[in-house]
Amino acid sequence: MTEDVNLNGGQPLVEMSHLAVTFYTPRGTVRAIRDASLRIERGEVVGLVGESGCGKSTAALALMGYLPGTTKVEGSLLFEGQEINEMSPAELRKLWGKRIAMVYQDPATALNPTMRVGPQIDELLQHHLQLSKSEAQQKTIELFTSVKLADPDTIGNRYPHQMSGGQQQRAVIAMALACEPDLLIMDEPTTGLDVTTEATILDLVVDLKDRFKAGILYVSHNLGVIARVADRVVVMYAGQTIEEAPVRDLFKAPRHPYTAGLLSCVPAPVSTENSAVQLSSIPGSVFPASLPTEEACLFAPRCPMAQERCRTEVPAVFDAGGDHSARCFFWGDVRPGIWGTDELRQEGERGEVEPVLTATSLRKRYGHWERKYLFFGPWVRPPVRALTGVDFAVGSGRTLGIVGESGSGKTTAARVVVGLVPSDGGQLTLQDEEMPSAVQDRSRSQRAAVRMVFQNPKASLNPKLPIRHAILRALRKFAGLNRRESLERARELMEAVGLGPELLDRPPTELSGGQQQRVALAGAFAANPELVVLDEAVSALDVSVQAQVLNLLDRHQDETGTSHIFISHDLGVVRYVSDDILVLYAGHVAESGPAESVLNSPSHPYTEALLSAAPVPDPDAPPTHIRLPGAVPTMRERFQGCFFAGRCPRKLDGDICDTTPPPVRTGPRSSKHVIHCHIPLEELTALQRNGTST
Amino acid sequence: MATEGYIAGSGFSPRRVGAALTHTWHKGLGALRLVLRTTSGRIGLPIVLVHAVIFVAGSWLAPYSFTSFNLAEDGTLEQLVGPSRHFLLGTDQFGRDILSRVMSGSTSLIAVAGSGTLLGIAMGSIVGMGSAYMGKWVDEVVMRIMDGLMSFPSLLMALLVISALGPNVLYIVATVAIVTTPGVARVMRSATLTLKEQEFVQSARLRGESAPYIIFREILPNTLPVMGVELTVRLSYSILIVASLGFLGLGVQPPSPDWGLMISQGRQFLSSAPWVALAPAGAVASLIVGVNLLTDGIRQASNMPREVAP
Repeated sequence: MTEDVNLNGGQPLVEMSHLAVTFYTPRGTVRAIRDASLRIERGEVVGLVGESGCGKSTAALALMGYLPGTTKVEGSLLFEGQEINEMSPAELRKLWGKRIAMVYQDPATALNPTMRVGPQIDELLQHHLQLSKSEAQQKTIELFTSVKLADPDTIGNRYPHQMSGGQQQRAVIAMALACEPDLLIMDEPTTGLDVTTEATILDLVVDLKDRFKAGILYVSHNLGVIARVADRVVVMYAGQTIEEAPVRDLFKAPRHPYTAGLLSCVPAPVSTENSAVQLSSIPGSVFPASLPTEEACLFAPRCPMAQERCRTEVPAVFDAGGDHSARCFFWGDVRPGIWGTDELRQEGERGEVEPVLTATSLRKRYGHWERKYLFFGPWVRPPVRALTGVDFAVGSGRTLGIVGESGSGKTTAARVVVGLVPSDGGQLTLQDEEMPSAVQDRSRSQRAAVRMVFQNPKASLNPKLPIRHAILRALRKFAGLNRRESLERARELMEAVGLGPELLDRPPTELSGGQQQRVALAGAFAANPELVVLDEAVSALDVSVQAQVLNLLDRHQDETGTSHIFISHDLGVVRYVSDDILVLYAGHVAESGPAESVLNSPSHPYTEALLSAAPVPDPDAPPTHIRLPGAVPTMRERFQGCFFAGRCPRKLDGDICDTTPPPVRTGPRSSKHVIHCHIPLEELTALQRNGTST
Repeated sequence: MATEGYIAGSGFSPRRVGAALTHTWHKGLGALRLVLRTTSGRIGLPIVLVHAVIFVAGSWLAPYSFTSFNLAEDGTLEQLVGPSRHFLLGTDQFGRDILSRVMSGSTSLIAVAGSGTLLGIAMGSIVGMGSAYMGKWVDEVVMRIMDGLMSFPSLLMALLVISALGPNVLYIVATVAIVTTPGVARVMRSATLTLKEQEFVQSARLRGESAPYIIFREILPNTLPVMGVELTVRLSYSILIVASLGFLGLGVQPPSPDWGLMISQGRQFLSSAPWVALAPAGAVASLIVGVNLLTDGIRQASNMPREVAP
């Protein structure tokens, strides 16, 4: 395909060769890009992947000619044969919007919140294409249709805040496509969205690729997303492009150890075998952008194959044949095994265990009923029902995974368990003893037994206090150790989470996100808890670091028999760590039970949709078809029938789903596996088998 | 091991205190350099420094005593003499040297305004942070009271208190503090509201820490930058209020020199001997302008990217 275009156009759409971008800031020199080369042809999607701090976004901005004045740019960056680096601001302005368009990560900030969405696009069309107002409006509706926004005729009358995140991102894509640009740059366009929404946006990108002739640069840290949309993939590490290959070659036979490492860090979403393969992790962290480029391979310090030569000589980009190139001396020796992925993971006994924590019909509402006219009038605004009678149990030494979209009640469940948010009803039982719902009413031993790790590692440590504070305070509060003893123990804990004890005196700002999260774990492990609640604890981390933390959790659980509640939107990660899974939707339990039963057929249509939406880091994965439109309902209204009826892809004919709450059905594999659905399980199994095969 | 001493010394050891002081000194120097990069800082800092010198040593540096009635060689009182070699800013109706009076007058003004502001910041911080942390009805009640206090024009409020209690220095300090409190409480409340949702505060709650511990140990250090800006802003307001009280005769009582009172007394000679009123007016104005410029400089500097040693 690329050959044909080459014959027509003669030159690639974009040719970046040996680009280097250096920022001079008061904080020092930042070498964002050291040596990057890539090309984009018309009509292809080039995926740009790498961990944070590897220069992906800078590369995207450089392509736009969007770098600030104090930046040094070396090398060449040709757009249709013209040097972008030498263009005047006026020439660049002619390119932006019309020839090169960009879609950013956060659609909410890309749209003007004070203007209706339609006119924002009309304006662009009138300015760039000199259309009349009515022509522009007509074209805008066509654009809305082409990005598959429901109600294209009227949706333009909405303000951005009246649209969901997925709709906003579609509108932004429509805006980017308005002038039929030759190059579309998408910088992490789905990172802030739910998996279900992400899947629909990715479908759109794949569809656009076929309909428009534009070249697309798709920047993402998520290998699953890249596998789904890209034709060719470029991998960046420490500001260098280190591997470039067609998508299949890259995922099947990576030729750079870093790429191989990234692939082995990602847990496969669903594996039917009981024993999952142990995740490998890349030790250390990315070569810092503040250091000058060394006369060596920059990946050598983290590389399992590094030889003497790698530390003294700069590797060139070697051609590995078939449009595949890698910046590694030993590209021929790279295979999946180099990261030690052959090991099988020790799985705990599957037998019955005593539950550590049992939650019975937990209820939580936010807000109160409100009247129409403050003190008068009918009661119109009911409270948000975040949890409506949720039951679950965490087995001793087991991990309970909780999954669901945002707004499904996952985080509320976590906060109710630790007592940050007192429940409005229901019971929490910790080892046969009822636990008060608010943390301040709990006894010291109960507080010590249930600990929590938060999502954002930056915010979970006090920025003004050295990191020893969090650990020492937990020890003083729970273990009753004196100063010297707690210090001793803090050092042990730091070593247990793989950090040097000398870090205890540092402020949190000097630590990386992964290190901060380890400190938070050390604080949570401090007093030998019974249960650790991990609320999206690895979601903000890069894949390599995420794998380190997951393995750390796994090892700690094996050694101490601690139970975990693991909350994540990432099904692959949940599958990797969980023994049992709870699927929440709109504050209701959709399905719960042992992990392999939940993730295999028959499963609740909602679980099925989540599984179908999860991106798989394998370009040959069979395409999935089930997509959920819209978002989780606001949960103010009481559901008459099934809570999922409004979005259910398998909703039954007739009105049973809308009028009757679903029965509880027990799965065939385990008595603990329950599904809340009207469809009989045999029928669900049959439907799901058909759904995946066609 | 060097690190061991530092970690283990959670208590006081001379080395630890020494290290902390050096650290603060270097940080201070760094901050000063940043402030001096801004135009406002470059103008404001010298003005404030001159006032600081006068505040500390004004009455020693003054050429005459602020109470002495200066006589000419022929024995007559040097009444309302214009600026001259002997009296750089002239004399007042009693033949007192105005320069000396201006230089001596700053001590009481700044001391009263400064301590009132500090007290107000302390009260406002406690009220604001406590109210925000407690939340619910406590927050409602406390903040409505603060709103009530704030709805009085601050000078009127001050007049009310002083005329009820009498113009004692301590009452003036208290008045300034009361006038300062609601504004500070507002700002500290909103800072605390954001901070208390932060995860490190929630993990402190999960450890079972007490409310005072969380407020003072976890939240307070993070509000210090806000508090610093608030301090300088409120200081210039307080100076204005104390000077106004003096002008109305409710400030520091004679014979102690007071800028406000001097302006008020100089008013009657405004056409014949303008220097009597203009000199203290200029002093008040330059102090307030200087403090405001410095505040502005600090604010700009704190928004600058911090310098990191290469």
